[in-house]
Amino acid sequence: MTYTFKLNDRIFKITLEESDGQIEVEIDGEKIPVDYKKIEDNLYSIILDGRSVTLGVFKKGKKIQVFLDGDLYDLESISEREQRKSSLAASGVQEIKAPMPSRVVKVLKSEGDEVKRDEGVVVIEAMKMESELKSPIAGKVRNVMAKEGDAIETGTVLMVVASDTPPAE
Amino acid sequence: MFKKILIANRGEIAVRIIRACRELGVSTVAVYSDADRRSLHVALADEAYHIGGSAPGESYLKKENVIDAARKSGAEAVHPGFGFLSENAEFAEMCEKAGIVFIGPTPEAIRLMGDKITARKIAYDAKVPLVPGSEGAVSDVEASVVAGEVGYPLMIKASAGGGGKGMRLVRSKEDFESALRMARSEARSAFGDESVYVERFVEQPRHIEIQLIADSYGNVLHLFERECSIQRRHQKVIEEAPSGFISAKTRKKMGDVAVKIAKAVKYKGAGTIEFIMDQKQNFYFLEMNTRVQVEHPVTEMITGFDIVKWMIRIAAGEKLPFKQGDIKMNGHAVECRVYAEDPGTNFMPSPGTIEYLSTPSGPGIRDDSAIYNGCEITSFYDPMLSKLIVWADTREAAIDKMASALREYIVLGVKTNIGFLRRVMADEEFRQCKIDTGYIERHPELISPGERDLRPALIAAAIAMENSTASGPQSQTAAASSWKLFARRSGIMRSPLA
Repeated sequence: MTYTFKLNDRIFKITLEESDGQIEVEIDGEKIPVDYKKIEDNLYSIILDGRSVTLGVFKKGKKIQVFLDGDLYDLESISEREQRKSSLAASGVQEIKAPMPSRVVKVLKSEGDEVKRDEGVVVIEAMKMESELKSPIAGKVRNVMAKEGDAIETGTVLMVVASDTPPAE
Repeated sequence: MFKKILIANRGEIAVRIIRACRELGVSTVAVYSDADRRSLHVALADEAYHIGGSAPGESYLKKENVIDAARKSGAEAVHPGFGFLSENAEFAEMCEKAGIVFIGPTPEAIRLMGDKITARKIAYDAKVPLVPGSEGAVSDVEASVVAGEVGYPLMIKASAGGGGKGMRLVRSKEDFESALRMARSEARSAFGDESVYVERFVEQPRHIEIQLIADSYGNVLHLFERECSIQRRHQKVIEEAPSGFISAKTRKKMGDVAVKIAKAVKYKGAGTIEFIMDQKQNFYFLEMNTRVQVEHPVTEMITGFDIVKWMIRIAAGEKLPFKQGDIKMNGHAVECRVYAEDPGTNFMPSPGTIEYLSTPSGPGIRDDSAIYNGCEITSFYDPMLSKLIVWADTREAAIDKMASALREYIVLGVKTNIGFLRRVMADEEFRQCKIDTGYIERHPELISPGERDLRPALIAAAIAMENSTASGPQSQTAAASSWKLFARRSGIMRSPLA
């Protein structure tokens, strides 16, 4: 079976195959024999090129969290159609979303304002701390939904930024 | 000794206090908010009382509700832990009036040291060195005048502050106005008081603090220093004892000065005098925390002195049986605060459910924690998950032990700073003790793992997908049986370990 994952904004293709009672994995065209074992529901042991790696794995729908060497990786299993859509979004229009339940402290940009990449656009407060949400792209503010004082939920769209250059179709 | 103590707190510190009480033969009363019904402190305590809604302002900060719970339960004393009501003089007074012992200093001492401006005056009178700055809380106009005099870089700090909240570093005049606004707004929401003061920022400062313990009979001892220079957002992340930087002479000077401040306010209980220190071991008084400190365990590890138990004993009227000369330090301890946060997005909190947890163990390893498999990390409270503390005979050995312990720490469900902590332990500058409060900012390369072999992550994800595809609906049992199926199909059942 072949799976496509999005990880750190990159797309990886991986095929799991059984041959001669061994698992063979093909990642982006490279074939590797793998020895793996499930230790607990969320804990896998993988031996790869002689290296013993213990990983935490948590799957929820299409999203899979993998804890590898101290860091948590968010992987998403995607279909080919979703793959095309996501590459469009990266270059074209970006929604600034609330990363957690919080409160809008200040909206730093208005409709039509120019923004630089990584420039702060909205200040939110959660867990008694203020954080600045930054624009992932350079461009112009297309819409502003956030209002100061708003209580917002995870995923609430606060602002929409469109890039200067139209996305390549 | 008391028969029953109410713990007016939550999380790992509530658990820590419950354990101390239990070892002293004292029964324990927990209080909890709506969000904390399933929290560990409730499960561990002998009694538990609901005190209100999830937001701290509706429960843990509601003085009347806490006092009511103490009355109902018949608790003779209240341990406030840290944060919440721990430095609230009014609450300490209310306890007194209700005939309940507040485990901590007198309301007067809390009031004196809690107001940062009064605290500066007390330190000044005790001839303790101070950082130049405004004489007190300032209006916006005064603030910019003082800023002009003090010069940049400077700090804006909440008068009622602590724990880095309502605090802003300003590097240039252009940033001053917005930083002032942010500091005021944070101070207002965290402490209900927006007054701030301004002071000079010492370049490359180290944060070094002295732990004090004082009884009701005028005996004040210091338990040496802790170095807490590794900070992000002006909050401590890694602490150690002793400091790997200061000389025995500086240590003695700091200890003596700290004891002097405590005596000036007739202090009793556990307290901490915080200093900032420049690279020549000049130190300046920052503030006094009139409560137990998050990082108290590192001091416990090097002195063998149980700070929380002694706070309780002192509140019960016991006298310290030690003299300064009896307190010895041995070896080196390091503490890492494990936070539910994403270092990659400026250490933004990452609330969620702990889907899987595996914690380290071994000789010299202590995990002060209140999390468990399935517990919820809500956005109502501080995102600290646990404190991992290690002890070894030297600083180097303690860092190696911490690095090894962190390798065994696995958390799923929320993002954590574990990987970041691991990279700090391996960093040459940290290992050589070339640290100051700007360390994290100076080392952006430690934030993310960088280029690394991601194949194991992809393989694990593919196996997880294969597992669930074969099982259809994602019920636990179906997943488990299909795993067996898949395992059999792939032949790993032949292994003697299967």
